[in-house]
Amino acid sequence: MIVATPRFRLEPYVQFAQKAMAREATYRFDVFTSIASVLVRVYLLRMVWVALYARNTAPSDLPLHAIITYSTVALLMGLVMDIDQTRMLHDRLHSGDIATDFMKPIVVPLYFFADGSGEVIFHAVLIVPSLLLALLIVHIDVPGPLVLGTFFVSFFLGYLVGFCINFILNCVAFWTLEIHAVQLIVTWVTDLFGGEIIPLVIFPAFLQKVAFALPFAAMFSTPLLIYIGVIKPERYAAALGLQAFWVVVLGFVATVMWRAGAKRVIVQGG
Amino acid sequence: MGKGTPSMAMIEAVGLRKVFRSLERGSGIWGAVGALFSRTFVDKVAVDDVSFSLEPGELVGYIGPNGAGKSTTIKMLTGILVPTGGKLRVAGIVPHEHRMANAANIGVVFGQRSQLYWDLPLRESFELLRSIYDIPRARYLENMRHFGAILDLDRFLATPVRQLSLGERMRGDFAAAMLHDPKIVFLDEPTIGLDVVAKEAIREFIGTVNRDRGTTVILTTHDLADVERLSRRIILIDEGKVIYDGSLERLREEYGTHRTLVVNLAESYPDVVVAGTEVVSRELNLVRLRFNRRELTAEALIRRVTERYKITDVSIIEPDIDSIVRRIYLEGYHEGTIGAPS
Repeated sequence: MIVATPRFRLEPYVQFAQKAMAREATYRFDVFTSIASVLVRVYLLRMVWVALYARNTAPSDLPLHAIITYSTVALLMGLVMDIDQTRMLHDRLHSGDIATDFMKPIVVPLYFFADGSGEVIFHAVLIVPSLLLALLIVHIDVPGPLVLGTFFVSFFLGYLVGFCINFILNCVAFWTLEIHAVQLIVTWVTDLFGGEIIPLVIFPAFLQKVAFALPFAAMFSTPLLIYIGVIKPERYAAALGLQAFWVVVLGFVATVMWRAGAKRVIVQGG
Repeated sequence: MGKGTPSMAMIEAVGLRKVFRSLERGSGIWGAVGALFSRTFVDKVAVDDVSFSLEPGELVGYIGPNGAGKSTTIKMLTGILVPTGGKLRVAGIVPHEHRMANAANIGVVFGQRSQLYWDLPLRESFELLRSIYDIPRARYLENMRHFGAILDLDRFLATPVRQLSLGERMRGDFAAAMLHDPKIVFLDEPTIGLDVVAKEAIREFIGTVNRDRGTTVILTTHDLADVERLSRRIILIDEGKVIYDGSLERLREEYGTHRTLVVNLAESYPDVVVAGTEVVSRELNLVRLRFNRRELTAEALIRRVTERYKITDVSIIEPDIDSIVRRIYLEGYHEGTIGAPS
């Protein structure tokens, strides 16, 4: 007997994203506090860098205003990037609710992606006012349209890299249910090698080599170095190409992990 | 379906089997550590050679103690668990091979889980389901109106699900499972934790849907009152095997051999002894006598009692399905052991 698989429709996934946005909006207080905390951190980091430069112990050849711009934009990117868009996978594996997801005529990983993206879009929209506030507080540089445009492309690729890393991490829950320890390690490595807190270019040469060989640099470092002009237009293609390479590699790993995990659920019952 | 074609069963399970394989682990912390390195597997047979067939529009109680294999069976029927052996068709489809097509045919309610969006008003979950199942707008509105009336949903459609009472949430979950007019619904412990009024509302709804829409229903439950109220047929399962599949009446007929006569004595007697009966309990002048209805009619028994004692009132308690099922789990089901003393 031939059974027709229901026709694929995008509409439910758009709805999933919209519902995720509506859900996030119910936690308005959360959103405001996280924006407030970013603004405080923007201001504090500026003080730290200013103090460092004033004592003439400048750790790199980056001028002060470039490094302040770098940290401020990094913190704003963090508002979006630090959301674990795939946390839902782990939560639903843990509670067993994943069974009810599989009982619906939907492509389950796409459901998680849509939900996570809704969350991210909601937060991204909130960044605009915080960006304006940040401009008022610390006067960051705003580059020209070519640099800015490339920055956003690079930011998007970095977002996909982050999504894949999170997805792989949450897939570990298919086998262990608990991912807290793994998550701590990955967060620590990302903080160090992602370039969110400290620009990778001020690392010693040896550590720079390591950092730039890892996928984490594709998340924050690449778009940020494009923004402050360390990566020049002639190297844009190579930089974006490397990010795209990581998206493909990590996307492949994520797919393999998902297939194996889903198979485990339907054969072993989770 | 053409003329003369035999009607196709809605659910057809033949020799269904599910074996879970897990790592062997010892007890205590060393057992847990050892399990990290151990490669010894233990097989656990959860469902063992289960066969049954359901006609369209049937309502069946699927009953068993914890760990009997009820949920495992339901998971295979919904296509989220691959059987180890046997054949299974749900509305003509092999569930795990066509998970998406099967999902469009079924509705599921878990008493212990909700498929509603926790943080959003109830109505939003329904809108989302309309989109997931591609329900035509007119049909959706009609169903919303219909379920809204039976389940009294309108009062809390705008309330976020997390603020609903358990009874309200369950009513929402039932509407959610039925919104796309599934051919079959699986109800897993749907009345668990509900108060009497909410239980009754849910049972009423299940009965209505089954009767008016011809929806096939499989109901797993611990509360046998659900079954007594709703289904004529029950399937009893224990340790992964079907131990009884038939009507509730037959089961009662075969196993419900003992009735209880409740007697109100007019005077206090030191001892109450009636031939052919056993005193189950006595509180002052209220005595409960258990007797086998195959050996003694109620009429004869009352005559025996009144010959020896002065009484003010009598009543008879029929065996409830709960005690019958409990007895079968303890002793096993044996066909033809009718009337055997318990």
